[in-house]
Amino acid sequence: MKRGFAGIVVVMALSILALAVRVGEPAPNFTATDSNGKAHTLSSYRGKFVVLEWHNQGCPYTKKHYDSGNMERLQKEWTQKGVVWFTVISSAPGTQGYVTAEQENDYMHRMHAAPTAALLDPTGNLGHLYDAKTTPHMFIINPDGVLIYDGAIDDKPTSDPADIATSRNYVSLALNEAMSGKPVSTPTSRPYGCSVKYAH
Amino acid sequence: MVRSFQLRWKSVALVTLCLGLAASAIADERRASIPHGSVELLSEQESIQPGRAIHLGLHFRLEKGWHIYWINPGDSGEPPRLEWHLPAGLRAGALEWPGPSRLPIPPLMDYGYEGEVLLPVPIENTSGLTADGEVALAADLKAIVCREVCIPAKAQLSLSLPVRAARSRESAETQAMFRAAQKALPKPAPANWRPYAKDLGDSFELRVNTGRSVSEAWFAPLEPLEIENAAPQKSVTSAAGVRLILKKSDQLLKPVSRLRGVLVMSQGAYMIDAPVAPAAAKRKKEQ
Repeated sequence: MKRGFAGIVVVMALSILALAVRVGEPAPNFTATDSNGKAHTLSSYRGKFVVLEWHNQGCPYTKKHYDSGNMERLQKEWTQKGVVWFTVISSAPGTQGYVTAEQENDYMHRMHAAPTAALLDPTGNLGHLYDAKTTPHMFIINPDGVLIYDGAIDDKPTSDPADIATSRNYVSLALNEAMSGKPVSTPTSRPYGCSVKYAH
Repeated sequence: MVRSFQLRWKSVALVTLCLGLAASAIADERRASIPHGSVELLSEQESIQPGRAIHLGLHFRLEKGWHIYWINPGDSGEPPRLEWHLPAGLRAGALEWPGPSRLPIPPLMDYGYEGEVLLPVPIENTSGLTADGEVALAADLKAIVCREVCIPAKAQLSLSLPVRAARSRESAETQAMFRAAQKALPKPAPANWRPYAKDLGDSFELRVNTGRSVSEAWFAPLEPLEIENAAPQKSVTSAAGVRLILKKSDQLLKPVSRLRGVLVMSQGAYMIDAPVAPAAAKRKKEQ
């Protein structure tokens, strides 16, 4: 009897492990709280494209895209076109990029950032659920809830803002293709940047 | 009177300071400070001969705990890059990469170098140089230096070498450094090792017939998105060689026809280019 129970537990553990985040498969559902205290559940955004952007304001690769205005421009452009854009902060307390709700709101105001919301994930639960590796690491979920992009923001894996002008932006490329009914030509890429500062 | 003396003294001091700065700028062009360390452009020879290739090297020294990256940095970071400014007739090859170390940052895995590393770079010399002249070899470096956090590093390095008809060796210390760096570069795998891989669905099995049992073998892929860098690599070693189980990356969407990378073992690093046998027919049907 005990044995059988242990067996069930193992099977459950395995099925959780097998729940990989993979392009072409349903994106795992989550509920997370934003910097204004509002809860967001992914499944409630069915019918819309959702972008997840992993963020750490102290990371040179994040700074490349924020200090240049590139990320803010993308956020404005795509939210105006009806895309739901979540900036996600998985830095653990005491690590680079960890912010309180107030600090994040100050930052977004100062940078003129325009995501739909900034989700605070100090436990790293959402980061681990998506296997988010770097800042920035970008995911796109289509209106059916299927993951259609997992990777870098663009094809220039450097921290130099001068490279943005000549880069191909994979997020815009994927959104443009998906919105016009085409398959995403680059569905995965190496997400370059700083490691996400998870708790240890 | 007192005032003008003070002024004169001040201007003398200022001029001396400027001269000092200028002199140190010329003397130290080959060496630069970077965050948490230094980098130096080294030459394996004190001079360059017309028509003969030469090796330069990028020598990093980093404070304890800080690292730079391999050509495939793994899950985060980026490799150092050089932009060369060379006189006509000289052409720089690509940086050469010693076998990397694994740099775990759970749940991630990076590949790179801690402490001290020399990355050699061959300079092709297609003549055009005349003996008794001097050439300036300059390069702009962009890199990122990381521990838990990352700091971008930029440096302008340059090295002036006399052109001499005869070969001239560098100091014994520099020569030893280049020898050690050459030794640390991955060697081509002997043909009879016949590396090959099998697609097992969720993982690759890589077999290398080293002809003897090896210890601590692991595979560093040249391409990103093929294997899960942080997944433990199960290794089975026997008298025939070594077999590694490499978990596929969740981001890998297409079949891979070859696995290219470096097999790092306690006895050295070897370049591996293994054909991949496709997944078994049964699995194919499922897909």
